[in-house]
Amino acid sequence: MLRLPQQENEIINRSIELEFTWNGKPYTGYEGDTIASALAASGVDIFSRSMKYHRPRGIMTANHWDPGLAVQVDDEPNVRSGSRRLEANTTVSAQNVWPSLEHDLGTLNKAVGRFISSGFYYKTFMRPRFFWNHVYQRVLRKFAPGGKIHWETPSTSTYDKRYVHPDVLVAGGGPAGMSAAISAANEGASVLLVEMESDLGGHLRWGNTSEISNMKSLIKEIESNENIEVLTDSTVTGRYDHNWVSVMQRSHSIARERLVKARVGTLVVAPGLIERPYIFKGNDIPGVMLSGAARRLINLWAVKPGQRAVVFTANPEGDSAIGDLQKAGVEIAEIVDARKGQRIVAAEGKKRVESVELSDGRSVDADLVVVAAGWTAPTSLLNMAGDKPEYDQKAARYFPKELPDDVLATGGIVGNGNFNTICAHGSDTGKIAANRALKLRHQRQTSTAWARNPNIPAPERIEDLRNSLVREEHPECYYSTNEGFVDFSEDVKYSDLVQAAQEGFDSIELMKRYTTATMGPAQGKLETVNAAAVLANSIGTPLAEIGTTIWRPPFAPITLGALAGRIFEPTRRSALQDWHEEHGAAPLLAGQWVRPDHYGDASAEALNVRNNVGIIDVTPLGKIELQGKDVSKLLDQVYTNRWGSLSIGKVRYGVMVGEDGVISDDGVTGRLDDDRWLMTTTSSGAGAVWEKLEDWLQNTSNDWDVCITPVTGGLTSINVAGPNSRSLLEKLVSDVDLSSESFPYFSVREGTVAEVENCVIWRIGFTGELSYELHIPSGYALHVWESLLLAGKDLGCAPFGVEAQRILRLEKGHFIVGQDTDGLTKAPTVGLNNLVKLDKDDMVGLPELADSFTDDQLPVLVAVQTDDPMVVPEEAAQILNGSSNEILGRVTSSRMSPTLKRSICLAQVAPGISQPDSKITILLASGERVSATVLSGHAHFDPSGSRQNV
Amino acid sequence: MKQPRYKYSALKLLKHGLTHGDWPRMWNSNELNSSYDVIIIGGGVHGLATAYYLAQNHGITNVAVLDKGYLGGGGSGRNTAIVRSNYLTPEGVAFYDRSLTLYNEMAHDLNLNVMFSRRGHLTLAHTDSALRTMHWRAEVNKLQGIDSSVIDPSEVKKEAPSLDVSANTRYPILGALFHPPGGIIRHDAVVWGYARAADHLGVHLHQQTEVLDILCEGGQQSNGKGPGGKVTGVRTNKGDISAPVVVNCTAGWSSLISNMAGVDLPITTHPLQAAVTEPCKTFLPTVVVSGSLHVYVSQTDRGELVFGASVDPVGTYRINGTLEFTEELAGHVLELMPGIAEMRLLRQWAGLCDMTPDYSPVMGFTSVEGFLVDVGWGTYGFKAGPVSGETMAETIATGKTAELIESFNIERFSTGELVGEKGAAAVGH
Repeated sequence: MLRLPQQENEIINRSIELEFTWNGKPYTGYEGDTIASALAASGVDIFSRSMKYHRPRGIMTANHWDPGLAVQVDDEPNVRSGSRRLEANTTVSAQNVWPSLEHDLGTLNKAVGRFISSGFYYKTFMRPRFFWNHVYQRVLRKFAPGGKIHWETPSTSTYDKRYVHPDVLVAGGGPAGMSAAISAANEGASVLLVEMESDLGGHLRWGNTSEISNMKSLIKEIESNENIEVLTDSTVTGRYDHNWVSVMQRSHSIARERLVKARVGTLVVAPGLIERPYIFKGNDIPGVMLSGAARRLINLWAVKPGQRAVVFTANPEGDSAIGDLQKAGVEIAEIVDARKGQRIVAAEGKKRVESVELSDGRSVDADLVVVAAGWTAPTSLLNMAGDKPEYDQKAARYFPKELPDDVLATGGIVGNGNFNTICAHGSDTGKIAANRALKLRHQRQTSTAWARNPNIPAPERIEDLRNSLVREEHPECYYSTNEGFVDFSEDVKYSDLVQAAQEGFDSIELMKRYTTATMGPAQGKLETVNAAAVLANSIGTPLAEIGTTIWRPPFAPITLGALAGRIFEPTRRSALQDWHEEHGAAPLLAGQWVRPDHYGDASAEALNVRNNVGIIDVTPLGKIELQGKDVSKLLDQVYTNRWGSLSIGKVRYGVMVGEDGVISDDGVTGRLDDDRWLMTTTSSGAGAVWEKLEDWLQNTSNDWDVCITPVTGGLTSINVAGPNSRSLLEKLVSDVDLSSESFPYFSVREGTVAEVENCVIWRIGFTGELSYELHIPSGYALHVWESLLLAGKDLGCAPFGVEAQRILRLEKGHFIVGQDTDGLTKAPTVGLNNLVKLDKDDMVGLPELADSFTDDQLPVLVAVQTDDPMVVPEEAAQILNGSSNEILGRVTSSRMSPTLKRSICLAQVAPGISQPDSKITILLASGERVSATVLSGHAHFDPSGSRQNV
Repeated sequence: MKQPRYKYSALKLLKHGLTHGDWPRMWNSNELNSSYDVIIIGGGVHGLATAYYLAQNHGITNVAVLDKGYLGGGGSGRNTAIVRSNYLTPEGVAFYDRSLTLYNEMAHDLNLNVMFSRRGHLTLAHTDSALRTMHWRAEVNKLQGIDSSVIDPSEVKKEAPSLDVSANTRYPILGALFHPPGGIIRHDAVVWGYARAADHLGVHLHQQTEVLDILCEGGQQSNGKGPGGKVTGVRTNKGDISAPVVVNCTAGWSSLISNMAGVDLPITTHPLQAAVTEPCKTFLPTVVVSGSLHVYVSQTDRGELVFGASVDPVGTYRINGTLEFTEELAGHVLELMPGIAEMRLLRQWAGLCDMTPDYSPVMGFTSVEGFLVDVGWGTYGFKAGPVSGETMAETIATGKTAELIESFNIERFSTGELVGEKGAAAVGH
């Protein structure tokens, strides 16, 4: 056991032991341990095998970014054991190993390592040709890194989202961040303080006694400030336009992970610094770790990181590590001070460091190498805010350059200092952040139309006069020799980068793509600057001119589950759907809606409409109420025909096209009153049409007087169709004269149906029969539906479903947008010539529409009947030129007609075969070709309309 | 001037491994000449392929490819690397089938393994209308000799076992269009392959060379630009270069570049976002596309899932990406594969897509003599890279528009003869 006696500021609770297994063997840790600290305390050195060479890897940073600590925990892959708190009874295992972590056969890759330098796969595996897909690729896929998805045990985790609107969001709970939060809160701002680790404090947590006591007093102040909300174990993952900030919250009581979406007044970025690895031969061997890792292990979790250490230090933090190591009883074999020009050259050892070679030629026995080579500024959030950080050679790190007004940075990312100067900078930053946020809040609260106190004075703007933090000098320690790893997760070595540069990949972006350096799980947080330094060295350019790759969101990886949250995509149900299901309706999932497909026998339902009367629930039909003086102008713009002349009480059919002239939607619109209209759209197009109308009004004609209200769900729509439909409605409607003379085809009335007031009734037809469409306030829909059935008992009234309607409309030859038309279909194809008014000043798609009427090559929609009446060609069956494979068209709709007792089709065909009585050849799915004949017009049944115009 | 080509092979890897000898440069860095026969603006797949085929097929080697950044830094390096040929219109099928053929042969033609993984391409149908469209595409494809068929949910499960094909999902999978020859390819390798091969044939590749203006004479506009004019060269941040032929092979900025010659393009530019996860052991052998859910996904040989979506609805040149994209993406991906909720999104990015009114490119000659375009590639430029290069090179070399791209001429927007691939394009991956 390497667990030390109790350390002064350890965060483990020794009274609670947690049992877990690691690669099948039982282990114990304490509450407060991370998985990695518990394993390290039990003497585990090797946590994983590297991606390409399968080299053993151990603890390097002991935090979230540690490249060697990804493990599988139960079903969860790629868990960062350096930061994930240990939980009892979990099954933890190493990833990417075979057959076991200790004896991994992939190490054979090491033997061939010299042959698989960067980009090797681009240069081979080309012969024999079929081998790439069938052999080489399969082998490469076997070596894919990462954890396993357990398909057999579906995840029961829950995920959630939350919206917050803090005035100030502080990313980072170290001394600077905490100070910023306190001062912002004291200015009256609401503050969200987000810390990636499980506790506030930042690097103070593993500091000395006075640092700990400073930390505690800051935390106390935060806890007592009611303007501050703290999220720990949470990461600010992205900063998007208009300070839209995403936070990933773990350890939430209900959700495994929660995505917190914050609209932030001012974002304060205070992430501290990330310690940078150092490049030397053997820099990845277990036992080589950064100074922060050694200090965290000792002080937070009371773990002795080794027995005998060589310490390479370039800064005070490295010096402090020496003290911590001594305190923990680690023998200091050698201190290598970079500030004196001393260097480590190599670490040797197989599964753990055994000796260290120094630049003066000596070899020192040691099982631990502690490296303090410098810092990388985690500027991701600043980059996302548009900043391009610049390199400061003296301080050997990047600093922010220019930030937008609503983003401020403080702490280690902007400079160095002692506790007091850092806190002072944080405090000043918090004050400015609050001031800017409160000004913004004031502006929002006073400038809106509904502002209660539009005249309250705005806060005075505080100028940014912060004393900048000093940039302490730091030696540029990137590499000691030209060996060793630059990117540990991707197994990219110094020599790989040099080779890439030699081959012409001599910009940081090309180098990244060729070598995959910085493309791994840490996305360059440990590697980018080192890679740039190696590139700078190999092409002889100053590091400051190399630049870095671009940091993109997320700052730390987010589970797909949390991004998705609880998925709110309910299936829409009409007010009658329960009734349908109780009465045996087969459900049909149609876009957002579930609908009754049929109630057992679609053909019988269709015949009943032809012979008696049927009722169908057509609620998904898009319905939009339009009010205002300029409605007809809007309709003229989006429909191809004219609307100004439509009189009150009439409805008209309209077709919409896109800018490309292609038909996009259709439906009828009725004029209920002078300024009040009801528009219907296709079911699937309801949302798109609404958007199109709003788009036009908001972006093009925002001075028009039109109010748009979508009422699709608010009105339940019932079509009453069949020769007995008028008789049926006459029983239930008393205040509307339904006679043909006073309520002719294509008219609309408002009236009372089954004592339900404010129903819209229009007389239109999709089935070819006399029919009425009722739009009922949905709360009364079931009453009306049942009243229709009851009143229609002696008239043969029965419900019919979507399938029967499809049969009926096909018999009548009505086309469906999206089925009989497609992404290419223009108005002339479906014979809408009279509905297109090309002499309008303007409308959507006008030029393309005009062109389409001069195009004699457009396909034509025709009714088709197979010569063998019993053969029903499949929808999408191709129409060919005789026995050749030349495509002349396709069947768009087909059914067996119960009315005509034969097969009927609609088809799009080339103009040459579109004339009535043309003989055409249809290729069936079976491969058989059958002959068919083109009809005159679209209707197979009642072409004159004698049944609906009664 | 043709240089001896340094051939890559397993043997060479062995030799370099043993001797630790340096590999030669994949391409040279040349001085900018004061004139070239052809200047190609844009060092992505389209520009480099055009240069390569000009040199390889037509012997025109005094060619410069200019890029304001690094090779393949635009759409070529940002796409999700899916290739297929199961298009809807005969023109589309012929064009993309040729591209697929060139991709198939590319590793050998260019002596660089572009890692074309013919893993099969599934386009899922979640509605009966989508299924009907799949049938239509399959029927058209079969007649044109393209391997493409509609398969049912149980067959979908066989091809992609991680998909949830049960009927009780919100958007059940009713079937899929299965296209075995489709797959993914290492997009960067395609860029480098063309760059290396073009360089060997004498083409000059100039990175960090931004075109600031296109020089013209005789045109309608006061500065000699516009219809009736003639190209004389370009102005770059590194100086002026003269050339009788200038080809615009850019994406994202193609309308701005064309404006430099006084040529207006009917193009709006929209970002298209994509994302990648951390790796997991491989489980998804095919490319999966769902038009209804606006997502396409494939798993790389390294185990990462690569996702893309449709273009953002609002036009902009910004490529910062949005949080909402990742949320919607994750929701839809989990609809398809509920088992991967614990996989983590590692990185999101965006590229710029130049959209034309008919979702088809604009290729060939323009109203300015010597100024050609290969632009407007929307979301599918990568798939078409090789065949675009081949046909553009032919067009430049012969002075006559190559047959395969005749329908993509710029005049169609004034004559109304738009190309129709939009019907099949929705999420055209």
